[in-house]
Amino acid sequence: MIRLQNIQRRYVSDEVETTALHDIDLHVAEGEFLAIMGPSGCGKSTLLNTLGTVDRPTGGRYLFGDRDLAALDEKALAKFRGQTLGFVFQSFNLIDELTIEENVALGLAYRADAGNRRARVAAAMDKVGIAHRAHHFPHQLSGGQQQRAAIARAIVGDPKLILADEPTGNLDTANGEQVMNILSGLNAEGATIVMVTHSPSHADMAKRRIDMLDGRIVASAMRDI
Amino acid sequence: MIGQAALGLYRTFARHRAYAVVNIGGLALGIAVCLMLGLYVRFELSFERWLPHHRELYLVQTELHLPGGAFNGAYPGTMAGLFEEMRQDFPGLVGTRIRGGKDGGAVLRGGEALPMDVAQVDPSFFDVFALSMVTGDGRRALADPDGALISRSAARTLFGAADPVGQPLTIAVDAPQTYRVAGIFEDLPDNTDLRIAILLPMPRKAPPAEWAWYRWGTASVSTFLRFPNAAAARRFEAKMPSFVRRRAGQELGPEPDKAITLSLLPVSRIHLEPQGTETAWRRLTVTTLGIVAAMTLLIAIVNYVNLATARSGLRAREVAMRKVLGADRGTLIRQFLAEAMLTVAVAALAGLIMAELALPLINAANGLSLGIPYALALPVLALLVLLVGATAGMYPALLLSSLSAAGVLASARSPGGGRAGTRLREALVTMQFGMATAFIIATAVLVAQTAHVRRSDLGFRRDGLIVVPSLADKRIFPDQSRAIVTALRDMPGVVAVGAGSVGVGGDGAGMVDVVEVPGRPGLGPSIKVASVGPDFFRAYGPRLLAGRLFDDRHRADDAGEWTRWKDGRNIVVNRVAAEALGFASPAEAVGKTVGGSLPRTIIGVIDQLRFFSPRTPDQATYFQYTRDVPPTPVAAIRFTGDPNVMMNRVRQTWRRLSPQVPLIAETADRRLGRLYQADDQAARLFGIGAGLAILIACVGLWGLASFNTARRIREIGIRKTLGASASDIVRLLLVQFLRPVLLANLIAWPLAYFAMRTWLAGFGDRIALSPVYFLAASLVAAAIAVLTALGQSVRASRAAPAWALHHD
Repeated sequence: MIRLQNIQRRYVSDEVETTALHDIDLHVAEGEFLAIMGPSGCGKSTLLNTLGTVDRPTGGRYLFGDRDLAALDEKALAKFRGQTLGFVFQSFNLIDELTIEENVALGLAYRADAGNRRARVAAAMDKVGIAHRAHHFPHQLSGGQQQRAAIARAIVGDPKLILADEPTGNLDTANGEQVMNILSGLNAEGATIVMVTHSPSHADMAKRRIDMLDGRIVASAMRDI
Repeated sequence: MIGQAALGLYRTFARHRAYAVVNIGGLALGIAVCLMLGLYVRFELSFERWLPHHRELYLVQTELHLPGGAFNGAYPGTMAGLFEEMRQDFPGLVGTRIRGGKDGGAVLRGGEALPMDVAQVDPSFFDVFALSMVTGDGRRALADPDGALISRSAARTLFGAADPVGQPLTIAVDAPQTYRVAGIFEDLPDNTDLRIAILLPMPRKAPPAEWAWYRWGTASVSTFLRFPNAAAARRFEAKMPSFVRRRAGQELGPEPDKAITLSLLPVSRIHLEPQGTETAWRRLTVTTLGIVAAMTLLIAIVNYVNLATARSGLRAREVAMRKVLGADRGTLIRQFLAEAMLTVAVAALAGLIMAELALPLINAANGLSLGIPYALALPVLALLVLLVGATAGMYPALLLSSLSAAGVLASARSPGGGRAGTRLREALVTMQFGMATAFIIATAVLVAQTAHVRRSDLGFRRDGLIVVPSLADKRIFPDQSRAIVTALRDMPGVVAVGAGSVGVGGDGAGMVDVVEVPGRPGLGPSIKVASVGPDFFRAYGPRLLAGRLFDDRHRADDAGEWTRWKDGRNIVVNRVAAEALGFASPAEAVGKTVGGSLPRTIIGVIDQLRFFSPRTPDQATYFQYTRDVPPTPVAAIRFTGDPNVMMNRVRQTWRRLSPQVPLIAETADRRLGRLYQADDQAARLFGIGAGLAILIACVGLWGLASFNTARRIREIGIRKTLGASASDIVRLLLVQFLRPVLLANLIAWPLAYFAMRTWLAGFGDRIALSPVYFLAASLVAAAIAVLTALGQSVRASRAAPAWALHHD
């Protein structure tokens, strides 16, 4: 489904050049659950942002299915994100002024083909067990509940790919487990997931794991099933 | 889009109530102040514009160019016979005179005189002023020497519900005459200086008492002319010098057009035009209030934009999230603009409501009847919503939508526009506080000058004094006025009753004489002439600077018999007249004779008697004495005891001796108070506007202070971890706020200096523009800023470093 070829990402500021990604080649198949691990600053999040098209590579090709995303302009990329991707962040990134239901509905806000929004939002909240908090505001919820709401927002549009950036990083063990179970469940239902994590046990819940160091993929392993 | 924006707004305001109140409330207040002052300015600018064909109507002004220049200026009247002479020389000329106006006559009923706004006008009045008639034919009524037209409210006052048409009405202007009501016209609106409740035909020839009917240089009537266009008016005006030469030569000698010119003033400009020696203070006041309105709104807008852009930085994460979820830049820009415009619309609506609620109070306090013209106000507000909304929304819309979503989401802090954003906000605060400080300076000067005027030495004691201008009424004959003065003098509690052609109140107009000075070439200075009777100086008690006052024992003191003037007469001059006549000191003037062929010997010099508006410059005046009551006298009663009791006695005496003439009598204090009314009104409106503008600026600073402090909490945590004390932190934050406030003085000082210098120039007696006002205002502004930011700073300085470090 996804093919990255020789992807590079360089940052240039004040005459200092930093290379965050070195010639990354990566293939992610449909239905896969891929975990990315590595120490801080190794390029995990940059890779995830590149996959999510919120960061543009400075070199290489990014094919999503048959589409070369490098050819798309900002407006087309925005539309692509709205229709194809779902994001989950470590710090949830819910909008404080909106209720949980409205935050989840935001996942459909920029799509013309959203269909019955209310029903889809209700279904997404139901799926992550947050429906009873629909009319609450983010600050009224626990971290685990907020992350579940963020997952509901990510899946409400039935994305082809879910990108999760340390989804359990801000949660305690119990809530972390709960979130991981939801992600595994989604994967079992066919969702493709790419997740950045620091937790070996959570990485073990993925089907495949890659390790990164200094902007390069240094190891790749499949989980025994 | 609008629905989403509205929901977003509602939630933001519900969650951040203080922010909503500060931001929307400040803007709403600014809009309300601007609206109210704008209405007042519009009202002042609308005078006579309600008249049909007002663009074709002109007032003839008499412009004096006398030697010395003390009385020179354009006066809004002409001699009564001017229009007759003009029509003889310019056949087909369309125009009318208005003689009288405010309290121009009295309706006599049951032995009592009811003062009313009676105006005598020419039959062509309706060709110039097309007043709406309720009933009757205005033109035909005025062609009839016994016809009278009355206004709708005069009809109600005089006849109640009965039909007035055809009813007789006895009206005294020069002498009582019975008229027949021939029609009713609609009441004149508020925005007019024409005071007309009853219209009567102009007498066909000069009434006996009107000795100055054909006297050049007098200004007893208003003469209005109508021309098809401005070019025709200009052409007519160009013919005036030759007309004056032709007509006034006999009276004013060769080259009369050097002393008097006639000019045309469009009717719509009369209201704000300076009259005679006045400065253009009315225009200045209206302009000032217009500027206050604009500046208050500007401060409020700056405030709003400042806070809105500052806070929008906090929404960077939201914007990034929306981008991640598929929103493109155009969608985000539209969302921000819609939100900003909605906010401004809410503020505009709140401002409109505030103005509606405040208007009755403003109207009651200032004797106005302003209303919001929605047909004009709504489109203007809509434009404001678009402009301010776009200004406030565009910056965050462009800035935030341009940020990289990945960068924002990865960053711990919210971007706020970086250094450029901070500089912009600081510049805006500087500008805002510059204007606010200028307002503080202006308010201080205004208050000081108003107090100064109230306290200033008028040259006489203002308490224990009643002034009776109605003694000058044309219908009171000399015998009667003598009897009245005697009767007033005999009332218990009365110390002295003086009568003079001048008295407290009035407009300062009167007879002006050109007094030759021996040994000085040319005509000599123009000096006002005041004729005074016995006890005039006793009633007012002026300070005698040199010489003596009038005394019946000196025969030459009595100038009552004008036929003996060529033999010489004694006069008392005031200080300014002594200076104008060229004497180095009051003592030097005493005993000197001036006046050429009509010699006048100065027997005494008194200090100024300031009878008129504080805006009237000190006039050079000489006083001449008559043992009798002088012509057109204003009586001054110096008394002891309760003014109300004394006023009742005056009323009874007057009714007994002169029932056919309405009594006009007031304490000097009250009469002087009326002279300050226009200034007080303007000062009050200015004070309200300026006070609210300062409040808005403070509220804005508070909002910005709390926002900036909140943004720096992490920095404060780091500094405290590194050893900074709470007072170090407070100092750090305060200095940040004081810098723009201190810089603001660079804007405020010159702005306030030039504005207040111009304003003070309108007063004859004025305070000095001392640096104390400027320094004090800057201190006040700095204190306000410190107090505003102090609470936030102290709270931030006390925060535990561990908490602050994790604050986002």
